[in-house]
Amino acid sequence: MKYSYFPGCNLKTNSVGFEETAIAVSKKLNAELVEMPEWNCCGTIHTQTTDNLMKRIAPVRNLARAAEHVKNLENSSKEVIHKQVVTLCSMCNSTLKIVNAEVKEDTDKLEPINWQLEYDNLEYKGDMEVKHFLEILRDDIGYETIMESVEKPLKGMRIASYYGCMLLHPEIAKIDDQEAPTVMESIVQALGAEVIDWPFFKFCCGSYHIVGEEDLVNIQVHTLIDAAKKRNANSIIVACPLCRYNLEHEQIELIKNGKMKNSLPIFYFTQLMALALGIKPMKLYHFEEHLVNPKPFLKELGLIGRKKSK
Amino acid sequence: MPFEYIKMDKEALKFIDTIEEISGSNVYLCYDCGKCSSGCAFVYKMDLTVNQVISYIKTGQKEKVLSANSPWVCSSCLTCTVRCPREVDIAAVMEAVREYTLRNEPERLKRIELTDEMKKNLPNIALVGSYRKKSEL
Repeated sequence: MKYSYFPGCNLKTNSVGFEETAIAVSKKLNAELVEMPEWNCCGTIHTQTTDNLMKRIAPVRNLARAAEHVKNLENSSKEVIHKQVVTLCSMCNSTLKIVNAEVKEDTDKLEPINWQLEYDNLEYKGDMEVKHFLEILRDDIGYETIMESVEKPLKGMRIASYYGCMLLHPEIAKIDDQEAPTVMESIVQALGAEVIDWPFFKFCCGSYHIVGEEDLVNIQVHTLIDAAKKRNANSIIVACPLCRYNLEHEQIELIKNGKMKNSLPIFYFTQLMALALGIKPMKLYHFEEHLVNPKPFLKELGLIGRKKSK
Repeated sequence: MPFEYIKMDKEALKFIDTIEEISGSNVYLCYDCGKCSSGCAFVYKMDLTVNQVISYIKTGQKEKVLSANSPWVCSSCLTCTVRCPREVDIAAVMEAVREYTLRNEPERLKRIELTDEMKKNLPNIALVGSYRKKSEL
């Protein structure tokens, strides 16, 4: 099975580990993510104004390209490909889903956008579906398959799952129940780690306030990390490059200011999946991108390193 | 108890209409339960709580709404929107206030100096997001 996959800008710049591990995991689980050609910005962050169609052109163009990509994939691989585009970044997920729902519902909006796409010889017919990789893991692959393919259970990890806002909000873009989601927790359990139940799974990290108003983000992250530590978590998983950056960057600031003693490592869920499924080489994980180095933590638990050659 | 008279003149009504038009949401649906404010992650930083902002918009008190920092502290996490029992798109109303300000007084646009470290490390979505929410376009 193959899926058309939309990466988004961050996965090509400072979250390469997220993408590369996700693709490796998808290949191992027989649900390969194939990158769509000629994608552009997803149109982040989705505008909530109703009188501005300009900001909806970028996402619709991506959806039209994805529809073409699905056709091409079908022709070349001779198997049935779902009319879906898979995202990894939670911000892309929400933007594409919202706009997709909007233009499907209201053809008056879609028509003028399609006029703009004429320059590219594209037309969006409103026939695509946007899915997050977590949904694919839950609905198409299933937790049991993940559990069966685990080679190295993540023993000793106590993981708090941080969804962030954009995986669950708004109503049309949610991937799971908005007040009690279970996707990430189920995956954590399937990987053999301990699930930490905490109420801050969607407590906003401060998002784009990191530019210019860092103090806002700082307080949010302090609350989040304190809550996770109180519940005895030793790591946090995320699905958003911005959440990862905010959580790591502000932890460093907090330690500098003496408000916190030690930091918690932050992982993308795909990195831990790859680790548990025994995917190598280590350079796929790009741990050097993380501002809080997670390697010592993983070494301590015996999950990476220590070649016993001698 | 101190009280003040509210003047619902043409300007006030026009303000309400514009906000409703930009946000696509009917503020009159709100019955001031305060669920939005109690769930807001940033409410402690706001001059006016979330339901106060909605309430002032309902009564057309433009000056109070525009001078508050609440819409600028809002990070569009949409927790209020998904929890509203009256299905008011509160985050969209906040965005509408931001847009109203920026469309009428572009000079309020904040210029943020980026350090080299920020340029190197900041995720793209943070930069694009901040530019989209706090600038005119």
